[in-house]
Amino acid sequence: MRKGILVLAITMLFIISIMLVSCGGGVVGTLQFHANGEDFVRQGFVSKDGWSISFSNVYITLAEVTACQTDPPYDPHSDANMKCDVEVSLDKVCTVDLAEGGENALPILVGEVQNAAVGHYNALSWEMVKATSGPAAGYSLVILGTAEKDNQSIDFSIKVDEEYEYFCGEYVGDERKGMIEEGGTADVEMTFHFDHIFGDAETPMDNTLNVSAIGFEPFAGIAEGGKLDVNMADLQSRLSLEDYQMLVDILSTLGHVGEGHCHCD
Amino acid sequence: MRMKWRIITCLIFILMVGLVLPIKVLAHGAKIEYTVNMTIEIVATYDNGEPMAGAQFVVYAPDDPSTPWLTGVCDDEGRFSFTPDTSKPGTWDIQVRQAGHGDIVYIPIGEDMVVTGGTGGYTAIQIILMAACFIWGSVGTALYFSRRRRA
Repeated sequence: MRKGILVLAITMLFIISIMLVSCGGGVVGTLQFHANGEDFVRQGFVSKDGWSISFSNVYITLAEVTACQTDPPYDPHSDANMKCDVEVSLDKVCTVDLAEGGENALPILVGEVQNAAVGHYNALSWEMVKATSGPAAGYSLVILGTAEKDNQSIDFSIKVDEEYEYFCGEYVGDERKGMIEEGGTADVEMTFHFDHIFGDAETPMDNTLNVSAIGFEPFAGIAEGGKLDVNMADLQSRLSLEDYQMLVDILSTLGHVGEGHCHCD
Repeated sequence: MRMKWRIITCLIFILMVGLVLPIKVLAHGAKIEYTVNMTIEIVATYDNGEPMAGAQFVVYAPDDPSTPWLTGVCDDEGRFSFTPDTSKPGTWDIQVRQAGHGDIVYIPIGEDMVVTGGTGGYTAIQIILMAACFIWGSVGTALYFSRRRRA
């Protein structure tokens, strides 16, 4: 009888130990992934060449969205590959509309992972891929909106079919992001800087941002009857070589983490 | 006996000289003390080399990486400096931002310059319980086999 109790007690202790080990490995929280076109997309802005631009829809298709804990922290300026000690991924491809929700909308929630290991997710990577269905089918980025200047108005649709892969370090902004505590929720953000394409009248013209931006004037120059509906092939044939190359170069710098720059493949 | 007194006299003389001389040295001496402060200077520039004049900086200490330890503004050359609290070894994170551009740099500071860190792990209660379970299980197993041998 005593022997049986002893065996039972030892077995119970073994099971409890296993459970405790499992609990220790499972110290988790929730990590949310946001996409943000910033106020530039939500509220519109004036381009470097004076066009007042507003956006009705900005569709962007995201895949392989992965947040990482890296030590040492990943440096997007270096040629080193991102090495994740801990990683959390969204297991889906989705198209989001960065202009959704009006002027004061919050960044778009792309998805969340509820069993993310605690710690600081200080690196983020994602792909911009061509959508297979929906309003952006066939394109990785579709920009729809209206540009106005001097009583001129142009409804534009600019469609990009190039695919990009962004590797970014830690979010740079008003607050630090990606720090999950046990049972808590943190978020990381894929930020897209559309002022890089059109420039920003509120930024000095000699600033790098405006120097490297194409502006809207080249697009206005190829619009017909107040309409512009183009893809990259159209733009390659209708824009000047210099303007087209400027657009190609700047598209790869669209992805950021807050104000932090990313490496793009 | 006489020899003993000579030795005692010599010792007293040496002691008196020893007591008097230092006072004279202090009267005309100088004292130098030093403290080593590790000051870190940051220089922030744009990709084209232009200084981030007037950019905002935020310093985060390793013991509370989500709360700013120091904030301020870079000078015209994009520079600022600070002296970290060496009682807080670990990685100090410095973020510099201006006009939609920004970056963050990580500086390990410590006696051995080794950055420690990690994620997950066990709580103290879990560790105590696991240790207790292990000890109890080991003792129980030993007792079980010892009783079996006697039988």
